[in-house]
Amino acid sequence: MLGVKAGDIDKMGLLFERHHKQLFGFVYHMTGKVAYSEDLVQTVFYRMLKYRHTFKGDGEFKTWMYHLSRNLIKDTFRKSNRIDYLDDLSLHTSEMKSENMDDEMERKEESERLHKAVSKLRNDSKEVLVLSKFQEMSYREIADVLKISEANVKVKVHRAMTELKKVYLIKER
Amino acid sequence: MKEESDNQNTELEEKFIRLIQNELNEDEKSELISLINSSPKIKAEFTATRELWSSLDTIKSPEAPAQMMSDFQSVLDNYKEEIKSSPFYSVRSGWARLKELLSYNPSLKWAYVLILLGTGSLLGYFWGNAGSPSLATNQEVKRLGDEVQEMKQMMMMSMLENPLATERIKAVSYTQELSEVDDQIIEALLTTLNHDENVNVRLVTLETLVALADHPKVREGLVQSLLKQESPLVQVALADVMIELQEKRSVKQMEQLLKKEGLNSLVKEKLEESIINLI
Repeated sequence: MLGVKAGDIDKMGLLFERHHKQLFGFVYHMTGKVAYSEDLVQTVFYRMLKYRHTFKGDGEFKTWMYHLSRNLIKDTFRKSNRIDYLDDLSLHTSEMKSENMDDEMERKEESERLHKAVSKLRNDSKEVLVLSKFQEMSYREIADVLKISEANVKVKVHRAMTELKKVYLIKER
Repeated sequence: MKEESDNQNTELEEKFIRLIQNELNEDEKSELISLINSSPKIKAEFTATRELWSSLDTIKSPEAPAQMMSDFQSVLDNYKEEIKSSPFYSVRSGWARLKELLSYNPSLKWAYVLILLGTGSLLGYFWGNAGSPSLATNQEVKRLGDEVQEMKQMMMMSMLENPLATERIKAVSYTQELSEVDDQIIEALLTTLNHDENVNVRLVTLETLVALADHPKVREGLVQSLLKQESPLVQVALADVMIELQEKRSVKQMEQLLKKEGLNSLVKEKLEESIINLI
């Protein structure tokens, strides 16, 4: 990113290639919308390009990328108050293939139920769970992205799991 | 007593998750594993947590669409073009290069003066002879130019309707290629600035409109837009523009915006600063 800041604009293409899939996954897990995720990823990278002079270089590029994404998602939430989370779920679950149709159906239903449970979590719980589980970030990295302490991350992950158990396991019984 | 037991359970649950995520140090890890193995109840609780954690793996996200890379590449190419074609960039870089060259070799300064004199004389000569080419050829060229301009406008207007934000950004940037910007284009740009769902499109549109700020309709539209924006980013950018244009009419709008409930604190600060700057 420092190269981009110094004027080597083409390096932004390399950064996009390296990180866009991961960021797409984050936005998708947070919103459940494919087209929105696609747009937001493009917007984040365009904004990083445009405001490259504000990149201080004392933090990680990835942390900055997640900061911008979180702000844009919050901006959308603020404007529309809510996002109809599971709009696009059928898009990818319908592509699952298995030799045993019954098993597949059962797994698919299970996965959809869990997906729905995750989508119903409070935004901060969902965010910490997505970063930790789906983005495979360490507590240190999550702390940097959320600008909180590692101890706080620990508490938030635990709360998110307790909330998920309540929403998912209790409904299942 | 119950509270103490609840706290212990919470602490244990936290450790289960950290064990699953490999966030415990070796000592904590072996201590917890011994505890789990010592009690069937604790073991069952740990298993339930681990199973729920693993089952999250069944939630898959779709692959990022393959065309995203090429879409971004075109955004990048457009951006590079935009920078290069910006008059500020070319004048600044051209002037900087010239100054650098002249400072290396003082004799070149005389050559530079001679080139300027020569260019001046040539311009004077052609200026004096203007009007002699045939009228028919001039009219033909003008008609072709008008047609190209019309086509460019049509293309830009239809691109503004595209559902992809990146395409709409391209459409807005396309305005710079138009030799003349009429009321219809200004109207379309102002509508995009006020109503496009994507903040980034709105920001690019704002930049484009600033370049057209000589037009009274654009200035008026920019002032009115202050109260139509919800995004703090656009609100701050608009406040900056108002200062840049020294648009004193915007003070009233800013004061009205300041009264809005739930206004972002940074925006509030910015507006207060801007008002002081403008009055």
